[in-house]
Amino acid sequence: MSKALTAGAGATASSPAIGWNKVLAAGLIAALLGSLGIGWVPISVGELGAIVRVWLGAAAEPETAGKALVLGMVRIPRALVTVLVGMGLSAAGTVYQGLFRNPLVSPDILGVSAGATFGAAVGIVMGAGTWHIVQLLAFLFGLAAVGMALLIARLVAVQPMLVLVLAGLVVLSVFNSSITLLKYLSDPYNELPAIVFWIMGSMSRAQWADLQVAAPTIGGSLIMIHTMRYKLNVLSLGDLQATSLGLNARRYRLIFIFLASAIVSVSVAICGQVCWIGLVIPHIARTLVGPNHEAMLPVAVLSGGIFLLLADTAARALTPSELPISVVTAFIGAPLFTYLLYRNRGSGWS
Amino acid sequence: MSLVCRNLHFAYNGHPVLHAVDLEVRQGEFCVLLGRNGSGKTTLIYCLSGLLRPQTGTVLLDGLDLARAARADIARRVSLVPQEHADIFPFRVLDVVVMGRTATLGFAQRPGPEEYRAARRVLAELEAEALAERGFNRISGGERRIALLARAMLQSEGTLLLDEPTNHLDFNNKYRLLEKIKGLCREKGTRVVASLHDPNLAVRFADSVIMLAGGRVLAAGEARRVMTAPMVSQLYQTPTRRIVTEAGGILFVPCDPGALSSQGVVEQRPTMRWT
Repeated sequence: MSKALTAGAGATASSPAIGWNKVLAAGLIAALLGSLGIGWVPISVGELGAIVRVWLGAAAEPETAGKALVLGMVRIPRALVTVLVGMGLSAAGTVYQGLFRNPLVSPDILGVSAGATFGAAVGIVMGAGTWHIVQLLAFLFGLAAVGMALLIARLVAVQPMLVLVLAGLVVLSVFNSSITLLKYLSDPYNELPAIVFWIMGSMSRAQWADLQVAAPTIGGSLIMIHTMRYKLNVLSLGDLQATSLGLNARRYRLIFIFLASAIVSVSVAICGQVCWIGLVIPHIARTLVGPNHEAMLPVAVLSGGIFLLLADTAARALTPSELPISVVTAFIGAPLFTYLLYRNRGSGWS
Repeated sequence: MSLVCRNLHFAYNGHPVLHAVDLEVRQGEFCVLLGRNGSGKTTLIYCLSGLLRPQTGTVLLDGLDLARAARADIARRVSLVPQEHADIFPFRVLDVVVMGRTATLGFAQRPGPEEYRAARRVLAELEAEALAERGFNRISGGERRIALLARAMLQSEGTLLLDEPTNHLDFNNKYRLLEKIKGLCREKGTRVVASLHDPNLAVRFADSVIMLAGGRVLAAGEARRVMTAPMVSQLYQTPTRRIVTEAGGILFVPCDPGALSSQGVVEQRPTMRWT
């Protein structure tokens, strides 16, 4: 890689990454086609084509009507939401690892997931009529948790990043205990299983309505993070150096934390907690193209989309009843992470 | 055109660190801060870079009041090389150096070919082109200093603030680095404020020195004039001899414990030769 870089005088960091982006984009399309076809009702590529032709009004083939329904109402929205959530969680993980200058940080560090899960549990216990209210509560409590962590850190105000980690720990623990309390108080026949299933995380609830929420929020945050991604390089040097280099470190950090937290909150609101992805995908991207966020963020985003889509497809296709998606992501993520730790040993950061 | 600070007071959470510090550093001047550990050198450097805001007093950089200026405006005029810091992501050296251009990049901007070319040029000026593609975490401590100096030069050649730039450098590298810095002062009119722990390096390279003791200026002025044996002894609270060599070099040597006597510190002309 370094040879290729020296060859072009004044080459920027992005040149080797473009190749990876193309490969990953092709991989994502392949994974989408595969995911749409695999499942309880198998749909071949030929049938996919036929259904699309019917939708475009170019043909009328009534024998695929049932499959068209499965595809249009279930698989397509589910696959798109899954890809968006996977991309979003990977970007959020990349942001948090950059800000905290620590490769072991996952998006839960400021208590977003715990807050959002608590919000959902409150909604379930209150007997909220629709999923929309549960989702709204999840989103609001997720942001509230991060807000609390930031406020605590602001009050303490020395060593900002270290205090922020500890404040996140405080918030995380308060919300986790509150979830336990809610579970304990809830009705064990209906509410308790609902809360437990919510926490397990699943893409099975994903519908077109979720995509209407996820596309502007997660999509918008992704575009913002992508636009500002170079600043992550500077922020990852720490506040002192970032400030002396002329960056308004506090402002950029707040913007990044807000965007990443919005992504995680929306994700938990749609599909519950999905573990490992925010931790392991940034590592994969860093292994492929190096730590420069200019190159690695797009790679992380594309890999995250592919990873979660494959995990979700496996979750619904491996067994007759669906596996919780976090089980699949952990079973793939944990060994992968171990391998990456082994591969990157001695890179000057262990 | 000078960096001026007047009546500077600074306290961390009520613990006073700097008291009534006055200083003035002109363009092209190499000013060295001397003082024991905890005397306030680093705090003063952070105040001069606008990273810390003094409770009273002002820092004026060529007329710009640092307390009121925007971060990017300060960064375009002053660059800082901090002391050894924690590990960072395994960036290439070139990626670290190019960050010197951060202050000139807008919200959505990233460094382009021009910025990378400028970064390579600065590395070349320091005879360190070979470092460009290496991993910043994998090069030696001395090479890291060079890389950070390159980043600071890319950021601003107006004023360089160096916090113990010779830390972790070997005998040869210390002299080479300070000669480079001295060259910048001479050739580009760069103003340098550096903290050093070795009075021998200070007296050899500095135009002026500021001696800090307990957060106060003990003495300040032209290096060779201010750095007398009694002053250096008082600064480090160690009886120290000042040896003037035949070639006119000056050396400070702590007195042997056995040689400590009532006569204290003497200035003598030995037969030693400065090479």
